Amino acid sequence: MKLNPMELYNLLPKTNCRLCEPKTCMAFATKLALGDISPDECPPLLEAGFEKNLEKLREMVAPMLSAEATGIKLDESKCTGCNNCVVVCPVDVAAEPPTSQGKAAMSTNTVFRVENGVSKIINLERCRRFPPDRLNCRVCEQYCCTDAIEIW
Amino acid sequence: MESIVCNGCSLLCDDVAAEVSGKTVNSLGLCTLGHTHLEKAALQKTKQAEKDFEKAADILTTGENILVYGWTHATNEAIKEGIELSSLLNGYMASSIDLGATQVMEHDINASGLGIDLEYVRNNGDFIIYWGSDPSESLHRHPSRFAVLPRGEKIPEGIESRTIGVVDVRQTETMKMANHRLVIPGGKDADLLDVIISELEEKSSIKDKVLGIPGSELVGFVNGFRKADCTVIFYGSGVINSGNQETNLTKIAKLVEVQRNNGKEAYALPMFVQSNTMGVEKAVSGVHSLQRISSGEFDTALIVADDALAHLPGPAAKTLAKSHIVYVGPPGGLTDKRAAVSIHTADTIVAGTGTMTRVDMNEMEFKKWKASKEDATISQTIRKLTELVRKK
Repeated sequence: MKLNPMELYNLLPKTNCRLCEPKTCMAFATKLALGDISPDECPPLLEAGFEKNLEKLREMVAPMLSAEATGIKLDESKCTGCNNCVVVCPVDVAAEPPTSQGKAAMSTNTVFRVENGVSKIINLERCRRFPPDRLNCRVCEQYCCTDAIEIW
Repeated sequence: MESIVCNGCSLLCDDVAAEVSGKTVNSLGLCTLGHTHLEKAALQKTKQAEKDFEKAADILTTGENILVYGWTHATNEAIKEGIELSSLLNGYMASSIDLGATQVMEHDINASGLGIDLEYVRNNGDFIIYWGSDPSESLHRHPSRFAVLPRGEKIPEGIESRTIGVVDVRQTETMKMANHRLVIPGGKDADLLDVIISELEEKSSIKDKVLGIPGSELVGFVNGFRKADCTVIFYGSGVINSGNQETNLTKIAKLVEVQRNNGKEAYALPMFVQSNTMGVEKAVSGVHSLQRISSGEFDTALIVADDALAHLPGPAAKTLAKSHIVYVGPPGGLTDKRAAVSIHTADTIVAGTGTMTRVDMNEMEFKKWKASKEDATISQTIRKLTELVRKK
């Protein structure tokens, strides 16, 4: 489930108090949706009167705590080891060209590798969502038939 | 890690690796189905006692009507040995491939020239249709290795260079990758095929909803056939189980023919799960065993690499269980438990020797690796049994 910045924004104080690093409530909500910031980093939210909103926001972002830094979450219990993520990931294809022809990843250079019947993220930092690329690439999520991969 | 060939399903993946250390099994590239199969096979113990061979040979030589059954998980070499033993015993060689659905799925695919190499599909197939088949539940690596995602000679961008269609009676996981998702009522495959064929032959024009599918969606699907240079239909048990199986398959063959008449390349391939269905098909065909097993015709049965009592329909299994059973194959299962004598072999993935025939009729050779148990293969066991039977 992806977080909608507008839904998060509606729970913020909407004062644009500039006490947080993003400076505006909308920018704060966007960062919240990407998992780049915690609700507790909004000083007015910690004040009396906003307890319910703070609790609701904490609840909404809680699943993201299990997400990796780029926002990729791989649920191994849903994974069938189909290798779709390995073959479709542009980084894997560049790192180990035979994967472009459907071969399984054997090296340690790819983002994904299927080990013991399930896919693992072995080089998260190489994902194109990471700096310097910071691309909004979602192909692994798009072609994961069992929804084992989710991107936040 | 060593390179191996997996026989967890009919894709016989040869780009995977594994290692066994004590009771720990590690693998790379194997899907969940393959890894689970390897884990089980690697830890199984073989049992090749001389007294068991003697007892098995006694049962087989004293039997009057002998069924020699199984084979879908045996190597081609073992099947050849089995044919020889069956002939020596004047037995009746049969397999689950001649039971209704599987037999229908073969549908003279190769005789009609409908089939093609999966590697060719990877390099050329630009319109892929899964019809009544759901690889994400049965042949996990089919889309990533051959049909949907990989790049090929004429498919430079992989999935971006292909169009994918899925026809089924329900929403399937495979549909997530598809451009065209057609959910039809059960038993209506032939009707939909008729509409597509008629449209492609320009004998009619789709205007309204057909079988619950909006006209515009169906027109888009038919245009997929028109735009494609190489269409491949992978049909599964859904086509068989929805009724009118012969008609459905005849119409799929007709659709392929229509495409070819329009100057396009087109093929149709079945989606089998058992690892060596096509190997058995090549060696043994045209037999109808179910009625004969159910009638109690056989007093003795040699069952090889198949848990027949678990897989046969209830009445046939009950009748077969009353015969003298000799079981040859990896340990475990109802047939092994019920057999008068069992000789346990290594599973082929661990044996690491012999060949099996992939679903596109390509022969895949198993690779020797550290965990190999070459002295306990099904093929050798059948050969030894044949020698003993010959002496008696």
